[in-house]
Amino acid sequence: MICVRTLRKIYKMGEEEIHALRGVDLDIGKNEMVAVMGASGSGKSTLMNIIGCLDQPTDGTYELDGQRVSQMSEAALALVRNEKIGFVFQSFELLARQTALENVELPLIYSREVGLTGRERTRRALQALERVKLSDRVTHRPSQLSGGQKQRVAIARAILNHPAILMADEPTGNLDSVTTREVMGIFQQLHAEGQTVLIVTHENDVASFCQRVIRLRDGLVLSDLPIAQDLAGRH
Amino acid sequence: MILSSYFYSQAIKLALSQIWANRKRSLLTALGIIVGVASTTSVIAALSGLKANVLTEFESFGANRIYVFPDRPDDKPRNLYPREKIRIKPWEVREIQNSCPSLRAITPVTEFGVSVASEQRELEGITVVGIWPDWHEAENRQVIAGRIFNRIDESNARQVCLLNEAAIDELRLPADAVGSHVLLDGRRFLVVGVIETLQARMFGDGGNTAEIFIPFALAMKLQSSDIFIRVTALARGTELSEEARSEITQTMRRIRGINPGDSDTFRVVAIDQYIEQFKSLAAGITAIAAGIVGISLLVGGIGIMNIMLVSVSERTREIGLRKAVGATPAAIMMQFLLEAMVLCLAGGLVGVMIGKVFAIGLTMIPGAQLQHADVPLWAVMLSFAFSALVGLGFGFFPALKAARLDPIEALRHE
Ligand SMILES: Nc1ncnc2c1ncn2[C@@H]1O[C@H](COP(=O)(O)OP(=O)(O)O)[C@@H](O)[C@H]1O
Ligand SMILES: [Mg+2]
Repeated sequence: MICVRTLRKIYKMGEEEIHALRGVDLDIGKNEMVAVMGASGSGKSTLMNIIGCLDQPTDGTYELDGQRVSQMSEAALALVRNEKIGFVFQSFELLARQTALENVELPLIYSREVGLTGRERTRRALQALERVKLSDRVTHRPSQLSGGQKQRVAIARAILNHPAILMADEPTGNLDSVTTREVMGIFQQLHAEGQTVLIVTHENDVASFCQRVIRLRDGLVLSDLPIAQDLAGRH
Repeated sequence: MILSSYFYSQAIKLALSQIWANRKRSLLTALGIIVGVASTTSVIAALSGLKANVLTEFESFGANRIYVFPDRPDDKPRNLYPREKIRIKPWEVREIQNSCPSLRAITPVTEFGVSVASEQRELEGITVVGIWPDWHEAENRQVIAGRIFNRIDESNARQVCLLNEAAIDELRLPADAVGSHVLLDGRRFLVVGVIETLQARMFGDGGNTAEIFIPFALAMKLQSSDIFIRVTALARGTELSEEARSEITQTMRRIRGINPGDSDTFRVVAIDQYIEQFKSLAAGITAIAAGIVGISLLVGGIGIMNIMLVSVSERTREIGLRKAVGATPAAIMMQFLLEAMVLCLAGGLVGVMIGKVFAIGLTMIPGAQLQHADVPLWAVMLSFAFSALVGLGFGFFPALKAARLDPIEALRHE
C-alpha cells in the first residue's frame, strides 16, 4: 500500500539546512492501523505531508497503491489527494458557513468522475456521515456541533472518496479525553471495516487504539513495533 | 485540466455567498464599477433619446433638401468681397436650375416684413416670403385650398398671395379665404390658396406663426435690388444629395468666376450634413462616456484587486484545505477569478439598473424631448462585458496568489 525508501527532506532556511527526514524506510500494508509517534520536531508532520502528497521529498522514493508519486506534477498530486488520500486535521478545518453535509461533499467538487448527479453526491455524503454516526447532524453547521462531532464530520469528508489511506495529524489534539475516545472509536471502527489508517500522535492513549507504532527521532525511524511490544518496551 | 460543471456551480454559489456574507464590503468595493456603469449607461440613454428625436426631426425635415446661402469667406478682407458680389441673384438661381440635373426643384426665397390688413384687422411686421411655384415641392408644403402660383403669376408679377391658416386666423378672414383680398403695405392682393401651418419643431422655422407668400418676381419689385436671397432646392433622391450639392457648388463657382483655390462666396448646406454632424457629435459624447467608464472601471478594478487580496489572505486556511482534498492550482485560480468576475458583474448589474431607472426618469421629464431615452441592449452587453473583463483583469493577480499557495503553509496560517 505504502512503500517509502530512504526518504529525505531538507528545508532550506537561507544558509541553514534543516534535515527533517534523514533516510526513512517504511512499509504500510493494506488495512493496517498505524500510529506515528515521536518528540516535537522529530519529523512526524513532514513524513505525513509527504505520504499525504502535500509535499515532495528532497530525495528517496515513495509509492502509493502501486503508483510512484514522488516527482509528480502539482496537478497530478492534487488528483492523487482527491482520489487516494483522506486527511483529518487537528483543528478540523470545516467551512464555517456550510452544513455538515456540504462540508462532507467538498472533495467531490474537485472530482474527476464524470456524470455525477446531485443525488449521487448526497447519497455518498450521507453514507459517509452514517459511517461516523452523524446521520442526525446532517444540516448542522460547524458552530452547532461539539468538538468530537466536528472531527467526525472531518473524518466523513476524508473517507468520502474511499481513500487508499486515511491520515490524521494529531486528530485529538484539540479534544478532551472523552471525545478523544469517541473519535478514536470511529477510527477503529473504520479500520475494522477495512480502512488503512495512519495517525500521528504524541499520546500513548491514542496510540493504544492502533496495531503498530512507528517512533521517529531526529528524522529517522527509531522503532517500528506492534502495539503490545511497543507499550511493553516503554515500561 | 477539466473542471466539472458541479465545480462551476459551486464556485459561483460560493462567490455569491461570499458577496452576501460581506455585503457592505462588497458594495463599497463594487462602488467604482457601479458608478462607472451607471453614469455611462445614463449618458448613453440620454443620448439615444436625443438621437431618436433629432433623427426623426431631420427626417421629417427632408434629408434631400439643400440650401444655398450667400457667404463671405471668413479668412479674407471684407473689402475684397462687397455685398453685391456675395448676394445671390435670381439669374444665378435660374442658372443652377438649368445646370444641375440632380435637382428636382429649386426656388429662390426672400423674406421681408410688411403691414397686412384685412377688412377686419391690420397687423404690423408680418413676414412675407417671395417664392417660385417650385417652392411647394422643394419645401414639401402643398396648398390645402385654392391653387399654387402659376407661371403667369410669376412672369407678370401679379398681386396674388398664399396665406397659411395662422395668418387667416389672425386676419379674421373666413376659413375658406380663397378669393378674399388683403392689403400688403397698401397694395391689394388676391388670396389664391391656403397653406397648412407648420407645427413647432425642434429645428427650422418656429411654427404657428402667420406666413404670407407672394410670387418671387413681385417680391423683387417691392424690395430694393440688394435684397437678401437664399435658395431652397430638392435633390432627386437622398442618394443624389451629395451629387446635387457638388453640382450647385460647381455651377456657382463657374458663374461667379471663382478661381481654383479661392474660397466660395456662398454656402451649400444639406440636412444630411447636419445629421452626420449630429451623429459624430453623439459618437464623440459616447466616446467620452466610454472614457469615463474606463477610468472608473480602472479605479473600481483596483478596489476589486485589493479586496480579492484581502479575501485570499482571510481564506488562506480554506484554500489549504481545498488543496488538501484535491483542488488543483487551476481550480483554485478559477474559483477566485470567478469570484472577482461575479463581484464585478453584480456591480455592473446594479449600475445598469440605476442607468435604466435614470433613463425612465428622463422619459418622464416634460418637454425634455427625451421620451425615447433608453439604455440600448448593446450598452447593457458592453457594461457586462467590461465588468467581467475588469474582474478577470484585476482578479488575476489575487487568483494567481491563491493558486500558488503551498497547502501545508496555508493550513498553518493563523
Ligand atoms: N516549512 C519548514 N521550513 C523549515 N523547517 C521546517 C519546516 N517544516 C518543518 N521544519 C522543521 O523540520 C523539523 C521537523 O518538523 P515536523 O515534521 O513538523 O516535526 P513534528 O511534526 O514531529 O513536530 C523541525 O525541526 C521543523 O522545525
Ligand atoms: Mg507536527
